[in-house]
Amino acid sequence: MIAAGVPALRFGRMPRWAGPLPLTVGIAVIAVWIVLALGAPWLAPYDPFLQDLAVRLQPPGALHPFGTDNFGRDILSRVIWSARVDLTMGVIGVAFPFLIGTGIGAVAGYFGGAVDLIFMRILDMVLAFPFLVLVLAILAILGPGLTSFYIALALVGWVSYARLIRAQVLVVKGSDFVIAARSLGYSHLRIMFRHVLPNSIVASIVFAMSDIVLVVLSGSAISYLGLGVQPPTAEWGVMIAEGQSYISTAWWITTFPGVAIVLMAFGFSMLADGLGEKLGLDG
Amino acid sequence: MKFAWKHALLAAGLMLGLAGWGADRAAAAGTLTIAREQDSTTFDPAKTILAPDIWVLTQFYSTLVRSDITATKILPDLAESWTISPDGKTYTFKLRAAKFSDGSPVQASDVVFSLKRVRDMKDAPLRALFSPLDQAEAPDPATVVLTLKTPSPPFLATLAMFAASILPEKAVTAAGDKFGEQPVGSGAFVLREWRRGDTVVLERNPNFWEPGLPKLDRIEWKYVDNDNTRVLKLQAGEVDAATFIPWNQIKQLQADPKLNVQLDNSTRLDHILINHSHKPLDNKLVRQALNTAIDQKAIVDVVTSGFGTVANSFFPLNGVDYNPDNKNYAHDPAKAKAMLEQAGVKNLKLDFVIVAGDSSHEQIAVLVKDQLAKIGVELNIVKLEAGQQWDALVAGDYDLGIMWWLNDVSDPDEKAQFCVSGDPENRSYYTNYNNPEVSVLVQKAAVELDPAKRKEMYYKIQAIAKDDVHWIDLYYSPFRNASRSNVKGFVQDPLGRYALETASVE
Repeated sequence: MIAAGVPALRFGRMPRWAGPLPLTVGIAVIAVWIVLALGAPWLAPYDPFLQDLAVRLQPPGALHPFGTDNFGRDILSRVIWSARVDLTMGVIGVAFPFLIGTGIGAVAGYFGGAVDLIFMRILDMVLAFPFLVLVLAILAILGPGLTSFYIALALVGWVSYARLIRAQVLVVKGSDFVIAARSLGYSHLRIMFRHVLPNSIVASIVFAMSDIVLVVLSGSAISYLGLGVQPPTAEWGVMIAEGQSYISTAWWITTFPGVAIVLMAFGFSMLADGLGEKLGLDG
Repeated sequence: MKFAWKHALLAAGLMLGLAGWGADRAAAAGTLTIAREQDSTTFDPAKTILAPDIWVLTQFYSTLVRSDITATKILPDLAESWTISPDGKTYTFKLRAAKFSDGSPVQASDVVFSLKRVRDMKDAPLRALFSPLDQAEAPDPATVVLTLKTPSPPFLATLAMFAASILPEKAVTAAGDKFGEQPVGSGAFVLREWRRGDTVVLERNPNFWEPGLPKLDRIEWKYVDNDNTRVLKLQAGEVDAATFIPWNQIKQLQADPKLNVQLDNSTRLDHILINHSHKPLDNKLVRQALNTAIDQKAIVDVVTSGFGTVANSFFPLNGVDYNPDNKNYAHDPAKAKAMLEQAGVKNLKLDFVIVAGDSSHEQIAVLVKDQLAKIGVELNIVKLEAGQQWDALVAGDYDLGIMWWLNDVSDPDEKAQFCVSGDPENRSYYTNYNNPEVSVLVQKAAVELDPAKRKEMYYKIQAIAKDDVHWIDLYYSPFRNASRSNVKGFVQDPLGRYALETASVE
């Protein structure tokens, strides 16, 4: 978590590359995943859906570096294609809570009073439930699928962003430049977007990077439970679920997608840490 | 790190020790611990059709007659002997001297009470099977006379099923709705304790009528829903036996000298239901095209790791009057595509309703989606929780769906009535299949007393149903249990009953 009381962007200091090690590692790992995701059609050696029953359950070897699953599908190709699904899931799954949470948090913090009170009580209510339990409950109502998953995330995930940005806005709105802007008679909208938000959003951006980890993990968890991405789509959680009963006879079906999830989560965690360090936040 | 390692070793040693201790103790006390995939819901034999209920409750009760271990012959049980009148309408049973587990004697009046109860109870799911029964009388405490409305060749087999269990009238009346939780019967075992969602504990019935049985003192059915966990517990010796071993682990377990894998014959058939009321599935040519497009062999290989058998009839392998030569569709995508074109069907999209989290269902769905895509049919896989999937099938809210069937009665009449007769209540297992020729044949076969003629009729029904593609037969499969090698006789008959009264732990 990011501690509260984060200073605004430090103007006047020239950004220069020589970022902290975690940032470099994070960017490198994520860049690899992005290349794999975008280049999947060219990089994957096989069609991820091609069932070839003649080569069922082949252990890793020359033809299939990660082996094949119980339908004779190439695991390496499926792991690569999954990067698309899981990256998209991470980005969309964070974008909506980020936008909604930032909007609500900023309005609540900026205007204060009754608006603040109402939003914060709703926030407390959402926070009262464990994250996955609430997501699962919403999915049970909306039915399985990715769209439902995004809606559930938006309904549950916004609270972290709202709380974070509100705390920042409360600090920033008392600063001299905001008071100055107000006395100049600028509209609330202009003050909000030009002065308050740019100076309070850094912590949220850093948090979003680490939130992607949570979203990708819960997306995979939910697909594993059969509520998210549906087979035969290649997705790491789905692949692990499909290979589960083979875990003692064909370890490679579940191991490689498992490693992939860990590596993507590692990349984003590093990115979040490094960004926090770079921007002068306490990790 | 050194410190942590020490702790880990200590813990591992302790766990191994405990596991070993558990196994030794179990063997000494004649206790059989079974890990199974589902928990029970009730032990009232009249009120359930669920396998996890039936497989436990059959240990509590005896029936008038019972089927042998191959489920093809009828043997005496509570009835020592019986006679059937030449017109096939009057059955007279002579009861043996037996006692219920509460010590009260099994009397003819209890038999009369039990059979009338299952026939007349409103929420008894199988009461239709008992509808041929007109009157039940007890002229003396050891004699039961049953009179039927019409001759009924399947009736004796029906009396051997779990729903016809003989219950003590007094105890049932006293317990009321609670009887399902406090069963009393004259079977080999009695219920000691039922911790819902966890364990059902059985103890031997000291009043069991058969001398020398049961061999076991105690049975514990533990509910362990994860397939891998059940197997791991068995390998670690935490349990003595496990049900529903995953297909793909059977070979590995067979190679383990400490374990016995038991693949008993079953009457199970897995099939794809087709909703005939949804266009264009009402067109026989379309259904035949779908069946021709499906590669049953591939499904057997992938889903059952080759342990299943390609199904060629809706009658079960090992069942009475099954036709091993019933003509099946050969897998031929090109031909299937041509058939669809001939039927004038293009861009066909179908909803395929399966159970979420059921690995067999999910594998079948992935395979069938791929196979149908090759003839231009798009399959939309709809995953529902088991109860919801069943509701969707019953409500006709599906195009295709996966289901399975296990016979409850050795006689073929039950399955024919339920799956193809076009009965308005069950609508041919909710497919809305209705072929008047088949309906007439099913009713004729139900009252035909000549076994040879009856067999001929059932062969014909199997052939027509196949030609009509009332549903798509996938595969027959054996039961798959495994036990420690010191467990003897952990076997199931083809209807699913565990013969635990003769099982033992050495």
